[in-house]
Amino acid sequence: MRIDWAALGIVAVVSIATSVIFTILLAAGIRLVSVAKIKSNEGGSGTATISLGYVLLGIAALLVLFGIYLIVPQFH
Amino acid sequence: MTELFVVITVIVVALIFDFTNGFHDSANAMAGPIATGALKPRVAVILAALLNLIGACLSTEVAKTISGGFFDDSLITAPIILAGLLGAIIWNLLTWLVGLPSSSSHALFGGLIGAVIVGAGLSSVHGWVIVSKVLLPAIVAPLVAGIAAAWATRLAYQITRKTPSVHSNTGFKYGQAFTASMVALAHGTSDGQKTMGVITLVLIAANLQPSGTGPQLWVIIAAGVAIGLGTYSGGWRIMRTMGKGIVEIETPQGAASGAATSATILASAHLGFGLSTTHVSTGSILGSGVGRGAQVRWSVARRMVFAWFLTLPGAGLVGGLAALLSDQGISGVVVLLVLLAVACSIIYFFSRRNKINHANVTDSHEVLVLAAATPASYDDDPRLEAPQKPKKIKRPKAKSAA
Repeated sequence: MRIDWAALGIVAVVSIATSVIFTILLAAGIRLVSVAKIKSNEGGSGTATISLGYVLLGIAALLVLFGIYLIVPQFH
Repeated sequence: MTELFVVITVIVVALIFDFTNGFHDSANAMAGPIATGALKPRVAVILAALLNLIGACLSTEVAKTISGGFFDDSLITAPIILAGLLGAIIWNLLTWLVGLPSSSSHALFGGLIGAVIVGAGLSSVHGWVIVSKVLLPAIVAPLVAGIAAAWATRLAYQITRKTPSVHSNTGFKYGQAFTASMVALAHGTSDGQKTMGVITLVLIAANLQPSGTGPQLWVIIAAGVAIGLGTYSGGWRIMRTMGKGIVEIETPQGAASGAATSATILASAHLGFGLSTTHVSTGSILGSGVGRGAQVRWSVARRMVFAWFLTLPGAGLVGGLAALLSDQGISGVVVLLVLLAVACSIIYFFSRRNKINHANVTDSHEVLVLAAATPASYDDDPRLEAPQKPKKIKRPKAKSAA
């Protein structure tokens, strides 16, 4: 019986990378949407910013869906 | 007759273990969202309970082996399983009483190992497997999840530094609720399966089910309901330690630690290096505290780590003692059941002294057992609300002057 260091390393890298990517998408999306809302409150147009923000939040939501796909054994 | 009695006993005790597994691990998913207010305590545990139930029903693959490679599969008999389950239940209840999160899988393995040692001797246990499957993951899980959460937290705060918290909190709370739900669902698929595997194994061994078949529908539903009810009951003592005891959790931090928890659990479940849900989520909360630069209560963290390393020998000791009785036929099993009931009652009695429930879970960061509870601030103490009211009535000045 040997310790599978390679599997351990992959788990560590994937875990850290996914957490960081998800959080960046979420935080950046939140920030862009907030910036756009403030802009439009001040009379400006924030359409581009708000769309980009929702795109980032959408990708974060896709990551959640991929997680659910991984959890449910019937899907694969 | 004796065999049927033992089989029924094992099924009942396995479902009790499943229940303790549920309330012990409720906090893994929901401590964060409850602490930040992303989900109300009651809503959180109902959601987690439903997701655990669904998860348990989703997992079709029976746990192929409950020995986990720690010892030879042929050593597993109904009395050994019974003793192992008892060890795990007692350990889960004791750690819940003192509010410490510890791995239910490790408790089950510990109980079984203790029972096997008593039945077949120390040499029958593969020591190396304990190192690679228990000790190493217990160090790795909090490290990986902690580093992930620390980085994620730091980034979350840097990116939203100029964003008004009215805007950011809503978004982060959604993120937290979703990641917590994923953890609850994943927990149901992995931990619900354990109990189903145990029950199916015992049914096959007693020739009540053909060998090589999967769990029957009633077993799946019973196991799912047991873990769901356990999760719903909340395990509020552990919830308090994880949500309040280790570090105060703010909303962006909670979202980052939730992301780290679900990413690490899914990665470890699918890439071949299994990590305990409990160790991962505790590590994330700890790491997120460090990432925010918050004051982490390292004394609580230290106690938790002690509990993790004591889980295997602790549950093993109880399991070993139980194994002395469990293979003595009906009388031995009856004595064991009585002892289990007495132990549960004693632990429950002690937990009543300083009751923690959905209403007061976030009021304090301490889980007290023997000492009297001292509320963090007397103004927050719900017990003082009633007597305070009369004070507000203005008394006529004439009286006080007289």
